[in-house]
Amino acid sequence: MSAARRPDADLKVRGAAQFGTDLAAPGMLWGALVLAPVALGRIRSLDLSAARALPGAVAIGPDDLPRLLGSARGDPERPLFAAPEVVYRAQPIAAVAAPTLAEARAAAVAVRCAIDEAPAVTDLEAVFPEWPAGGAETSPQVAAHVLARHGDVGVALSQAETVVRETYRTAGVHQVALEPHACLAEVDGDRWSVRTSTQSPFGVREDVASLLGLPEASVRVDGTWVGGGFGGKGASLLEPYALLLARAAGAPVRLALTYREEFLLGRSTLPLVARLETGVTDGRIVGRRVRLLLDVGTSLPGRDFATGYSIGFLLGPYRTDTFEVEGYAVRTNKPPFGPHRAPIAPQCAFVVESHLEEVARAVGADPEEFRAAHLWREGDTTPLGQTVGPFGLADALRAAREVAKAWRREAGGPGRGVGIGLGFWSTSTGAGGEARLRVTPTELVVEQGEREIGSGSVLVGLAAVLARRTGVPSERVRIDYRDTDRAPFDSGVYGSRTVGALGRAVDEAAVAALAELGRRLAADTPVRLGVDGGELVAVAGAAHRSVRGLLTAPELAAGGLVTAGRHTGPERSIDAGRVVAGSFYPYQDFTAVAHVAEVAVDTATGAVRTIRYAAFHDVGTVLTPGAARAQVEGGVAMGLGTALTEEAVWSADGRLVNPGLVDYRIPTITEVPPVEVTFLEGHAGAGPFGAKGLGEPPIIPVPAAIAAAVRAACGAHLTELPLSPERVARAVKSAPPSEPDDAARSR
Amino acid sequence: MSGGSERLTVNGQPVPLAEVPDDERLLDTLRWRLGLRGTKEGCRAGACGSCTVLVDGASRLSCLTLTHELAGGSVTTIEGAGGDPIARQVQEAFQEAGALQCGYCTPGFVLAIAGALRELGPASSTPELLGGLGGNLCRCTGYAAIVRAAEQARAGLR
Repeated sequence: MSAARRPDADLKVRGAAQFGTDLAAPGMLWGALVLAPVALGRIRSLDLSAARALPGAVAIGPDDLPRLLGSARGDPERPLFAAPEVVYRAQPIAAVAAPTLAEARAAAVAVRCAIDEAPAVTDLEAVFPEWPAGGAETSPQVAAHVLARHGDVGVALSQAETVVRETYRTAGVHQVALEPHACLAEVDGDRWSVRTSTQSPFGVREDVASLLGLPEASVRVDGTWVGGGFGGKGASLLEPYALLLARAAGAPVRLALTYREEFLLGRSTLPLVARLETGVTDGRIVGRRVRLLLDVGTSLPGRDFATGYSIGFLLGPYRTDTFEVEGYAVRTNKPPFGPHRAPIAPQCAFVVESHLEEVARAVGADPEEFRAAHLWREGDTTPLGQTVGPFGLADALRAAREVAKAWRREAGGPGRGVGIGLGFWSTSTGAGGEARLRVTPTELVVEQGEREIGSGSVLVGLAAVLARRTGVPSERVRIDYRDTDRAPFDSGVYGSRTVGALGRAVDEAAVAALAELGRRLAADTPVRLGVDGGELVAVAGAAHRSVRGLLTAPELAAGGLVTAGRHTGPERSIDAGRVVAGSFYPYQDFTAVAHVAEVAVDTATGAVRTIRYAAFHDVGTVLTPGAARAQVEGGVAMGLGTALTEEAVWSADGRLVNPGLVDYRIPTITEVPPVEVTFLEGHAGAGPFGAKGLGEPPIIPVPAAIAAAVRAACGAHLTELPLSPERVARAVKSAPPSEPDDAARSR
Repeated sequence: MSGGSERLTVNGQPVPLAEVPDDERLLDTLRWRLGLRGTKEGCRAGACGSCTVLVDGASRLSCLTLTHELAGGSVTTIEGAGGDPIARQVQEAFQEAGALQCGYCTPGFVLAIAGALRELGPASSTPELLGGLGGNLCRCTGYAAIVRAAEQARAGLR
C-alpha cells in the first residue's frame, strides 16, 4: 500500500462521504436567509406577512425570538438579526423556510423591509487618515488596541545610521472551501440538535448556546465530513438560524449558503495596513517600530484574538535591540473578521521579509545574509520576552539558500528571478481538551467529536500517534465520531493543533492503557501491542497475551478498556512587563519555514508565473510523511493565491464587488508548479514525539518568497498584496533602471 | 413539462423525465430527485467543477445543464463511476496517489479526468491533459497529487 493512501480515500472517490450540503431528513423544509441590502442603516419596518402567506412557508425575524426561545435570552451584544441597526451588507435581517428551495427563495424575496441607509465605512484608512493616537479610547471604531515595547525605540531610531520607513497594504482573502456552509437542524422539546459541517462541534455548541441563551447541555452538535475548513468553519454561522426555523416550523430545516452568499456572509480575513520603521547601525538592527491597522469588520470589542496574536508575526523571527509594536483592530461595515489559515501571518511575513530586504539594500548588505545574521536562535529572547525553544529556521534558511544558489545559476533569461521567504508559527493549544481511547480485542478506537476535515490530521495523524506509541499498525486504529453529547470535550480542528495538542491527549490515553495492560500482564518491562491472527496482543519481554484475555468480563461486555488523556492550554509565557496595552500571547512551540520560488515576470503585462518551488519545513518530527507532504503542497498553492490573485474588493458603500469564483480567482491546476518538499527534523516541538503542527506553516512564507522572486526578476519592489498584474506592471515602470539582481547575489 | 415519454439513462438506469420541470438543472435532478448526492454542489455557476459528470462519456458541468437537454442521453455520476472502465482507473489512481484531502472536489475531478483521458487517449501529454482541467478547482491538495493520479491513470490505460 502506498504511503499516500488514506483510510477515507475509498469513500471519497466513490462520492459516498456525506458532507453538510448532502444532509436531508424526511419532511424537512429548506431554509434561506434574508440578507441586508445595505452596509449601514436603520430598519424602519420589517413585514413578513407576504412570506408567511406562501404555502408551507415560515418566516422569522427579531420579534419572533421571545416566542421561539421562551425565557431564554440570547447574547445582547451579538443579536442574530439586524434590529434595528444594519451594520454590514448581507447581515441577516430575517429567515424563512419552505417545502422546496425554490419556495424558500420566493419567501425570502417576499419579505418586505424598509431601511434608511446611512453612509458606511469600509475603507480602513478612511477611518483613521492619521495614525490613531488615543489607544482603545480613540474612537468607537477601535475594537482592540495592543501595545508592547522593550527599550527606548525612539532614541534608538533617532541615533541609528540608517532608518528605513515603509507602509504596506494587503487585501482581504476568503477561505474558499469548496463546500459552502450547510447544516440540518431539528428541535424536539428542549433538545436543540444540529448536524453541521464544522471544524469544531464543541465550539458550535458553545456558540449556539450563547447566541440563543440556552444551556449548553440542551444543544447537541453532530459533525459531517467537512468540504474544506481553512478557518472558515471554526465557529457557528448558520446553525442558530436553522435551529430557530426548525423550532418555528416544527420540522427539520436544512440551511445552506449559495456560493455567492458564502463570499458575502462568510467570515474572512480583511485588509491590513502596516507601517514599519527599522534603524540599523554597523549592519545591526538597533530598533524597530511596527504598527498595524487591521480591519476586523463588525467584530465585537474584546472578541478579537487576531490582533494581539498575529501582530507578533509583523516583528518576524528577527533580533532587535529595541522595539515597539502597536496594533489597532478597526471596525468597519463588513462581516466580522474570520481566521483564514494562519490568520494574517502570510501577509505579515510578506511585509517583514520585503521590508528587511529593503533595509538590507539601504545599508548595502546582502538581503539573505542580513536576515540570516538577525535570525532568532534557540535560547534567544523574543521581543515579547519569551525564550525561543527548539527552532530550525537557521537550518531551513541554509538549505533554502543552497537551492536558490543553484536555481540562480541555472535561471535563464530576462524576467526570471529567484527569491526566498521565511516564516515562523506555533502550534495552537486552543482551549485544551480531552481524549477518550477504547482498547477493544481487535482495534484501538478514539471517541471524539471533531471530524476529519481533509488535512488528514485526525484520520492519519492521530492514528500515527497511537501506532507509534503502542505498536499497533495504524490500520487497526479507528476514529469513532460522536456527537457532543457522547464525545469528550475538545476545542476543535484548527490552529495546526490536532496532532500537536489533541494528539498529546490521545497519546496520554494510550500511555494509560499500556500501563493498565502491563499491570494486568504483571509485566516488568513496558508493554507494546501487536496483531496476531486478527486479535490485538500485548507483549512485554517474554510475557505475551491477547488483549481479549486481559480485558475483564464487564469491559468485554462494554466494548473494551477505556482510558482518558488531557491536554491543556499554553504552557509558555511572555514577559508581561513589556506589554503596555491589550493582550499578547506566547507561542507553544517555534515552527520554522523557508521557501524558495522562481518566477517569470512579463514586464509588459505584469503577469507573474511561478516556475518552480521548494519548501523547507522544521516540523520537529514527521509522523505521517504522505499527509505532511500533502499539507505543504496544498498550503503553497493556497499561498500562491494570496500572493498573486486573491483579493476581495469592496465598494465605498460596503458592497463586495467580486462574490464569486470567476472574479475572485484561486489558483488552478495549470498555475501551481511542483513543490519540492523537505522536512527538517530534530528541533522538537511540544506535540507527541516532538511533533509540531503543520496545517498552517506551509502558507506563511509564500507571498514573501514570490515577492522576493519578482523583485529579483524585474527590480519591482511591491508593497501591496496581491501582486496582481496591474500592481506589478506599475511597479516595473517605477523601478530603478538598473537591474538590482542576481548577478550581485550569486557571487 | 415537455415530452412525456422522454427519458434519460443515469448510471445505466432509465429515468423518465415527465415530472422534471423544463428549467431544472441536471445537478438538482441528480442530487435531490434521484438522491445521487455524490455529485457535489459548489458554485452553481460553472466556475468550480465540483458538479462534473459524464454525459455519453464526456465530462460536463451538471450545474449548467438543463436535464431536458440530455433527453435520450446517458449520464454517469460518481456513484456509477465503477462501471466505467476509465473512471474506475482514475478512482484507483486517486487512492493510490493520495489525490484527495477533504474530498469535496474529488467526484468532479475523477470524472473530469476520465472525460479528458477518453477524449485525449493514453498518448496525451500531461500539459494536454491538464489543459482541460482548469475548470476544476481544488483548495486542499495544491493539485500535485491530482496530477500524479492523472498520470498514473493514463499509464494504466496503455
